[in-house]
Amino acid sequence: MILSFAILTLLYLIFLSVLAYLGLGAVPIIIIASAMILAQFYFSDRIVLWSSGAKVVSREQYPQLHEIIERIVARNNLPKPRVAIIDTNMPNAFATGRGRKSSVVAVTTGLLQILDTEEVEGVIAHELTHIRNRDALVLTLASLFSTVAWYLMQFGFYGGLYGGGGYGYGGRDRNSGGAMIIILLVAMLTWVVSFLIIRAISRYREFAADRGSAQMTGKPVKLANALLKISGSMRRIPTKDLRQVEGLNAFFIVPALTGSTIANLFSTHPPVEKRVQKLMEMEASMS
Amino acid sequence: MKFFRRLRRNPSISKTNPDAIFALSSAYITLETKLGLKNTGRSALSLKVVDGMYFEDMKQDVQQFLDASKSEFGMRYRVVKDSYGYLWIIVEAGRMEDNLAGLTAISDTVEEKGFADQLLAVVFEFSITMDKNSIAYLIYNYKRNKFYPFVPAGQKNRDSEQEMKILAAADQELPFEKDMSLWYPLWDLPL
Repeated sequence: MILSFAILTLLYLIFLSVLAYLGLGAVPIIIIASAMILAQFYFSDRIVLWSSGAKVVSREQYPQLHEIIERIVARNNLPKPRVAIIDTNMPNAFATGRGRKSSVVAVTTGLLQILDTEEVEGVIAHELTHIRNRDALVLTLASLFSTVAWYLMQFGFYGGLYGGGGYGYGGRDRNSGGAMIIILLVAMLTWVVSFLIIRAISRYREFAADRGSAQMTGKPVKLANALLKISGSMRRIPTKDLRQVEGLNAFFIVPALTGSTIANLFSTHPPVEKRVQKLMEMEASMS
Repeated sequence: MKFFRRLRRNPSISKTNPDAIFALSSAYITLETKLGLKNTGRSALSLKVVDGMYFEDMKQDVQQFLDASKSEFGMRYRVVKDSYGYLWIIVEAGRMEDNLAGLTAISDTVEEKGFADQLLAVVFEFSITMDKNSIAYLIYNYKRNKFYPFVPAGQKNRDSEQEMKILAAADQELPFEKDMSLWYPLWDLPL
């Protein structure tokens, strides 16, 4: 979902740049940009449901899932979202929608297969927290910021150049090549930085949603277990005997630089280990 | 900075730290009050068998020590060799403190005789009171100087949820292995 937002943002940037290049004034561009972002926000649930192939299901089709959601919703005084199912073996879940009332919680059939009821509850509570915290709105606003930053960058530079026309056209021509490169570099830098900021916000919202889920269900260990199952980290807890691996000197291997630090900067979700660790801290403080 | 710390720390020269094991003398009470894990008073030390006189010598010394402290601590012991070629010294004392004292004395003897590298692990057995006939283990890995939980659930399966609960409950008191991919189990323990 975040990825599609990022791609959309990129498309806007290209589109707006073209408009700016064609010499459209600042005011029409700002109006067009805000209209597009509003439309994206307004139709976000439909866009996401359509692009993920999720189908909204009724209480009759999935009574158990509906019951799980109704239980959490009733306990925490939240409006019940629509429920959608994605028919794929990959275990996953997401929430979408522009407000608390019009939201959708979607889970994959794979998720329902590998998780038990309490684990599903933990995942749903996580998604419900996203809805309660209006995370979709937060991220849309954040990407709005990056779009505006990009545009201001360009506008400022063009404005500065034309404003400096007092030097005469000759002066501008001499510098225009270098100036163009600087404009490009600064604009790119702005976009990269805001991209990273959006990712950081997103990761923070994930932790917040984990915390919310723990408070709603009172069982952080269930969500931790679900996360491990979903990420395939369950396989990380080995089943091979210590006496078998001891001879292989498994413990002497200095952990190589896996590039995970760089990956962390770009990812929208914090690493599962970190999330599990935080959940277990919550579990420890609850018991 | 983490990168440089990794470079500097050479795990192959880490020495056994007796304080790490002794942290269990208070942590086991936490496990009992928080999770209902009751220490069964059974624990075991395992080390890789080496063929030769010196190893036999060391084994004799350990057995002499155990025979001598039998009456003092009310401690029973067994020595078993498993199919992987590991020697298990199984100690049964009533109290956790006596268990810890006995086990550290054994590992001291093993280290003095020059077999520190052969030490594999110490295992402490707990019964899960909430779940009848379920057993949990705390494994202390000598190579890492760290504890990790092991809760077997049937044939070569693990109850990872219970394991994570153990980690959460005693994380503050015990030096735990944070890297779950190193939580190697010990199947068919001769305890």
